[in-house]
Amino acid sequence: MLKIKNLHAQVGEHQILKGLNLEVKPGEVHAIMGPNGSGKSTLASVLSGRDLYEVTEGTVEFEGIDLLDLDASDRAREGLFLAFQYPVEIPGVSNINFMRAALNGKRAHKGLDPIKGKDFLAKVKECAELVELDGRLRDRSVNEGFSGGEKKRNEIFQMAMLEPKLAILDETDSGLDIDALRVVSKGVNAMRSADRSFIVITHYQRLLDHIVPDFVHVLSGGKIVKTGGPELALELEEKGYDWI
Amino acid sequence: MTGSSNSFVSKFTSPGDNSIIRNEGFEALEYLPVPTRRSERWKYSPITKLLTNSLSTKESDSTVWPQEISPNPVPHLDAYLIVFRNGVFISSLSDLPVSEGVVCSPMSSAGDQVFTNTYHKTEWVGAMNAAYHQDGMYLRVEKNVVLDRPIIVHHLTDGTDAACFPRHLISIAEGAEANVVVWSSATSESTGMNNGVLEAHIASNAHLKIDKICNENGEVFHFSHEQIIQESSSNYSMNTFTIMGHWVRNELNILSNGSGTDSVFNGTFLPTGSEHVDNHTTMDHAHPDGTSSELYRGIMYDNSTGVFNGKIFVRKDAQRTNAYQQNTNIVADKGASINAKPELEIYADDVKCSHGCTVGQFDTEALFYLMSRGIDLKSAKSLLVRAFVGDVLNSVKSEDLRNEIMNLYSEKHNW
Repeated sequence: MLKIKNLHAQVGEHQILKGLNLEVKPGEVHAIMGPNGSGKSTLASVLSGRDLYEVTEGTVEFEGIDLLDLDASDRAREGLFLAFQYPVEIPGVSNINFMRAALNGKRAHKGLDPIKGKDFLAKVKECAELVELDGRLRDRSVNEGFSGGEKKRNEIFQMAMLEPKLAILDETDSGLDIDALRVVSKGVNAMRSADRSFIVITHYQRLLDHIVPDFVHVLSGGKIVKTGGPELALELEEKGYDWI
Repeated sequence: MTGSSNSFVSKFTSPGDNSIIRNEGFEALEYLPVPTRRSERWKYSPITKLLTNSLSTKESDSTVWPQEISPNPVPHLDAYLIVFRNGVFISSLSDLPVSEGVVCSPMSSAGDQVFTNTYHKTEWVGAMNAAYHQDGMYLRVEKNVVLDRPIIVHHLTDGTDAACFPRHLISIAEGAEANVVVWSSATSESTGMNNGVLEAHIASNAHLKIDKICNENGEVFHFSHEQIIQESSSNYSMNTFTIMGHWVRNELNILSNGSGTDSVFNGTFLPTGSEHVDNHTTMDHAHPDGTSSELYRGIMYDNSTGVFNGKIFVRKDAQRTNAYQQNTNIVADKGASINAKPELEIYADDVKCSHGCTVGQFDTEALFYLMSRGIDLKSAKSLLVRAFVGDVLNSVKSEDLRNEIMNLYSEKHNW
């Protein structure tokens, strides 16, 4: 599904990713851990198409196409999804109109007609229930005045609405209390399937208690320096990163 | 009269009715200077290009109404209609209210009515209007009468080198209420000037709401000057939407002339191409316990230019005034620019005044967030723009009018 080869990326003059390799197959869940400043969020940004980063070397293939050649919206239309670490507040744009525009953008890309009003609302209801998102939040402006937990639930709500092939969760657990963590994880687990993959970026093992990964990678100095199974996360929790 | 001033007005005709205001206008044209960039008020809105044209007033309405413009600009709105073309009242296209306690007619048949504003004594543009003013709407709503439907005042500029001078007067008596839509349009081939004045008196506890829309095609220089005088505990609200206009100067002056007045005035302008839109507002709090709230939002595209100048005076006696002003601008393209200037002069010591003025670009974080969900750049921008405009648009009470304005913006901007 996703093949990252020798990826180098920088912001301005500052080199952050320095030859990263990663392959994600359909249905797999990959956790990426690593110390602060190791390049985890940069990886999420580069994959989702944020303009700030410049790729200087390497390739990223997604479902057989050159991902780096597409802008952010086309990547999303091809089936990529990024759950933001800091979801953006957009006053004046209602959550529901936002999702309608997103869904129809994706459908147009596939040559489909816009979704029918009734079907759309049914889908909204179903996805909102999945993450226990309050009905009022669906009608409010995107993320405006949402609590930290509500913002993260809104990310997973959007993911459920858009049904991506590959979802990248960028520190989705940060700022969540235990209940919210459980709800968010439940939403993610409900979406796991044989043809949908996840990259879960996190600092803490506790998220991985809920979303059990197939692989755990340690990102350090812009490269993946160690790969293991779920037990690696436990070991990191206990020993930190210094021993690697 | 200065040389350029003299030749510029040489082809204008006036009915020679010897009215006081007309005579004062002619006198003022003799001594008022033609505005130049040297004057602070006109620094960013030079009228040099206008002065190179040879304009004339158009008297008759003998030709047929042009097909490209609907006589009623908001056909879905349940409203009265008063139509003017090149400053001339068109009875056959108008539908005036006939009900007890309401007088609505063209100024030309309203008898002697007194304007109190002194715009013509301070500005050459105002003097031109006073000297050569044509017809306009006269509206009087008597004590405690609520006008049942809005009145649309539609002015069309139509023709080559047309000079139009509409002049309207509104008087809302104690406790009365009215809602007016002031709409100006121009045909695509039109050139010239639409120089209008509107004066409104709002008595104690009365309410007046004006939605003003400029949707002028062609190459018309648009000057509009509103003078609003509010007595105690009256309410005034106004929205100024500039949709299309070659060169537009909106001047709004509100005088709080009694205690406890409330004034709310908002505007949006999204010029494209080489359009120029200038919004000059003055809120004068001369009495205590008044409140005012102002929100203007602009997005400058292509090579367009914008101006915002918002003055707020809080006079010595205007204690406990609460005034709020916000002006937010986005410069969307490299060739575009805005000159924005808030001006607050406060002479009272127990007041609450806040203001904010920003000039920026599109929020790139918000754009990326929208795009990361599969919304293309153009649609993402239009979602943000509609939200930006929406805050002002939502203060238009009528849904039909709101939709019409949004449709016109959408058509122009291809949203």
